[in-house]
Amino acid sequence: MLNVALSGLRAFQRALDTTSHNIANVATPGYSRQRVDLSTMPPHGVAGLQIGSGVGVDGVSRNADDLLSAQLRRASSSYSRLDAYATKAGSLNNLFADSQTGLSAALQRYTNALQGVASTPSSIPARQVLLSEADGLVTRLQTYDARLSDIETGINEQLRAEATSINSIAQNIARLNQEIQRATGSGTTPNDLLDARDRQLADLSKLIDTSVVKQGDGTVNVSIGSGQPLVLGVLSSEVVAQPTEFQPERMTIAFRTSSGTTDISASLSGGSVGGLLDFRREMLDPARSELGRMAVALTEVTNAQHHAGVDLNGNLGGDFFEVGGAQVFAARSNISGTTLTATRTGAGDLIAADYVVRYDGGWKVQRADTGADVPLTIGSGGQLQFGGLSVTVNGTPAIGERFLVKPVGNAIEGLKVVVGDATKIAAAAPIRTLAASTNTGNGTISAGEVLDASDPALRNGVTISITASGWEARDSSNTLLDSGAYTPGGNIEVNGWRVQLGGQPAVGDSFTVTSNTSGVGDNRNALKLATVLGQGVLSGGTESLDAAASRLVSTVGVATSGTNASLEAQQIIYDDSKAALDGLSGVNLDEEAANLVRYQQAYQAAAQMIRVTQSMMDTLFAAFNR
Amino acid sequence: MNFRLSTAGQHAAGIAQIMKQQTLLAQTQQQVASGKRIQTPADDPVASVRILGIERAQSQLEQYGRNAGIAADRLGLGEQSLSDVGTLLQRVHELTVKANNGSLDDVSLKSIATELRSRAQELMEIANRQDSNDEYLFAGYSSGTRPFSDAGSGVTYGGDQGVRQLQISSSQKIADSFQGQRVFMDVTEGNGSFVVENGTNSVSAGVNQGTGVIGASQIVDAAAWAAAAASAAAALPPLANEYSIHFIDNTVPGDGVAEAWELLDAAGNPAMDGGAPPAPIQGNYVSGGSISFHGIQVTLSGTPAVGDSFTVRPAGKESLFKTIDDLAAALENGAGSTRQQAVLGTNLNKALAQLDQGLTHVLELRTEIGARLSSLDTAASLREDLDAQMTGTLSGLRDIDYAEAISRLNQQLTGLQAAQAAYAKIGQMSLFDWLR
Repeated sequence: MLNVALSGLRAFQRALDTTSHNIANVATPGYSRQRVDLSTMPPHGVAGLQIGSGVGVDGVSRNADDLLSAQLRRASSSYSRLDAYATKAGSLNNLFADSQTGLSAALQRYTNALQGVASTPSSIPARQVLLSEADGLVTRLQTYDARLSDIETGINEQLRAEATSINSIAQNIARLNQEIQRATGSGTTPNDLLDARDRQLADLSKLIDTSVVKQGDGTVNVSIGSGQPLVLGVLSSEVVAQPTEFQPERMTIAFRTSSGTTDISASLSGGSVGGLLDFRREMLDPARSELGRMAVALTEVTNAQHHAGVDLNGNLGGDFFEVGGAQVFAARSNISGTTLTATRTGAGDLIAADYVVRYDGGWKVQRADTGADVPLTIGSGGQLQFGGLSVTVNGTPAIGERFLVKPVGNAIEGLKVVVGDATKIAAAAPIRTLAASTNTGNGTISAGEVLDASDPALRNGVTISITASGWEARDSSNTLLDSGAYTPGGNIEVNGWRVQLGGQPAVGDSFTVTSNTSGVGDNRNALKLATVLGQGVLSGGTESLDAAASRLVSTVGVATSGTNASLEAQQIIYDDSKAALDGLSGVNLDEEAANLVRYQQAYQAAAQMIRVTQSMMDTLFAAFNR
Repeated sequence: MNFRLSTAGQHAAGIAQIMKQQTLLAQTQQQVASGKRIQTPADDPVASVRILGIERAQSQLEQYGRNAGIAADRLGLGEQSLSDVGTLLQRVHELTVKANNGSLDDVSLKSIATELRSRAQELMEIANRQDSNDEYLFAGYSSGTRPFSDAGSGVTYGGDQGVRQLQISSSQKIADSFQGQRVFMDVTEGNGSFVVENGTNSVSAGVNQGTGVIGASQIVDAAAWAAAAASAAAALPPLANEYSIHFIDNTVPGDGVAEAWELLDAAGNPAMDGGAPPAPIQGNYVSGGSISFHGIQVTLSGTPAVGDSFTVRPAGKESLFKTIDDLAAALENGAGSTRQQAVLGTNLNKALAQLDQGLTHVLELRTEIGARLSSLDTAASLREDLDAQMTGTLSGLRDIDYAEAISRLNQQLTGLQAAQAAYAKIGQMSLFDWLR
């Protein structure tokens, strides 16, 4: 009887201890409430009767469910991925938030300044406004690019930090595996160690998507990516943040093996690491390429038109903007030393993506983001031509060598206004036309337009005279350049320009096309400079710069709001999974209070039993002492 | 299902609820404070892009407005200058009429000539006017170079024929000036079709000796005149469409009186009519009567001498400067003799016709400016309409509805207070409180 009472005291002592442990850990993250498993002791038979021999403590177990834990890990991995993605997307989104200071506004201010020059072409202040607005536009593009570059640098640093965290968590799991293995081997259930390991696993899944397999000896194996074993029993491996194959300043996640490292970034789809990589590939890279493409298009169309004008000093226009070139990176594994040089051939053909060029005996080109094959033509000099690029191969490549071609790699970094001097803005057209005052017919001549600004004879004087059979164009030494029948409005194209005659010119009438010397009041080229910006120059001539700027904002906006919506949905899933696990494993103080009362009462009752036993003994002893 | 709640979970859920309410409240607060519904593109990507488009269009409209302002200024200056030219020509016209009444002596004519010379100077100043930007108004593209100059052999135009166009809407450009050649140099001569002027005397090979004076002249059959031009051009070798009305002593030969006229072509041969067989064109002279040929009619009075001639040629262009200059020169020649009076008469009649042409010309140009200014007005009102419409759309897209936002704010405040109160209440509940 005393033994029975003692077993009760021991059991409820244990139960109270456990309750107290539960209460103490009410706020401990990842703690699973524990309970004492009680059972009756085997009875002993006395004279055919089964007499109970008290209560035994089978063990202390924790309320945990591996299935719920795995579910929570998956939910948390997805949530962390979206959270990292949404945070970065948000900073990109904020960059485009203020429409008044945005790219679109800067572009419009620049166009307005061009119109300002067109209104008062000889005004130096108007020209200086144009230069400063052009600078403003360049600065705007560069600010965006720098911010995007900052975001990329941030991602690199985050990847490095997260790789370190992953490794330290992996080590912790391996160590816990070892301790758990030892404890399990000695027959005890190491509840708190199991909790600690679950917590580490949960932390790991926030960083990276994992696959956890429980082993018979109580240890777990953790694999990541496409099955790379991060933790195998008591051993852990490492991931490293290392430069990508092509670009030293761009980090990627690789798995370290005995023979080196394997880039596993392509197979990481969850956790904050997956979110960062996805964001960089899906939003950041396209945005940077898009900005670069716009810089290239701006430079190309503006320069082409600027060349077709003359400045205040009567000289043909030079370059207005200058833009950085395409970039090529050789893979680190290349051995032959072959280099590729890429030049752009036309902004209209550029897409907002990079290319991987590979030599397999012949050249193959793929988009770097999607891996889709890109049609390739080989130029007469052996250049590889694709996607608005012409790539020259210097050297003999070895089989399997690869190169990354970034069409607008340095574009924005190298973007600047090179006109410099306000008088050098070519607002005027290089030619002007006039009807001779002696003309007797009422024929007119159009102002003329430049078809080929590089024609050396562009600004040579040409006289178009009307003859009985039509018109003939002669230069200053009376050499016949061209002739034709007269049709009102018909094109006359000589020396890289085009004019039209209209009305009814009389035979003997003449018209002159001459160099527009001293044409300081001419605004024709300034108007054209403003107009070309509104024309389709991107995406095969279908998209204007304005439209591209708007599309960039809308793409970022849509992606951000989409990610935020997914994040909210995932938050609910995560909360539900957490609530489910919490419901099972979490400590409820009221429940513990009830248990406290219950176990205390039971303990007191067992203690009372001892007193009863004692008083029975006393009674017995008293009977004998009498 | 018997659903357990963990204490920590309960607290976390309570806090999460409060924080969520706070986030919503902060968003609403930001919207109310800024007055904008959309803070970043992600809030409404479609509207964000439309906002960009509208803001861009408005900024463009503003620029077009500035362009239109500059165009209006320059057109205003042009209109003022042309109005000044008109007044000046009117004055010259008055002086010419005054000189033409035949009763003035050489001194008076000379003083009129002096005034005309100073008017010519004034005209030159108008033609070389500059705008506020120091650009010459009538120089074409060469607006930095003084367009009109006189090196002694008459005023020449050094500008070009360019006309600057300013963009006043996305689809409309407007010329902000006239080039000087058109305004001052290219005034149609004579009556617009042909000119009749003093020729030379074929006997003395000098100026006309008689007192014949050219009066009104007009075209009566444009087709016949054009046909004459065509047949002259088709001749071998081609001839200019010019004629000379040549006075001959015909009816009573030897009396020294020019009773008749014959028409000579540009080569000096008798001009033939279109009949079959062709006959020379000629007729008897009646003072004050008209001479008609090739669809034109010329009135002639006075007594021409034998050999006198008057030239008829197609109208070309003459500058306003030359008109005044010729007029002054004619007056300075004086009217001492009847012969001189006749020469002067013809010249004055020609000048009057030319001044009429000039006035019409200026009026046409002013009408054109008026039309352009009215286009500017139309464009301005279109711009205003468009701008108002876009402002409305923009506000609808971007601005918040305050009533809705404030009520939402209140609702969220209540929600937050409720969440806080619930948390505080439930958080206090513990069974331990009852275990005393």
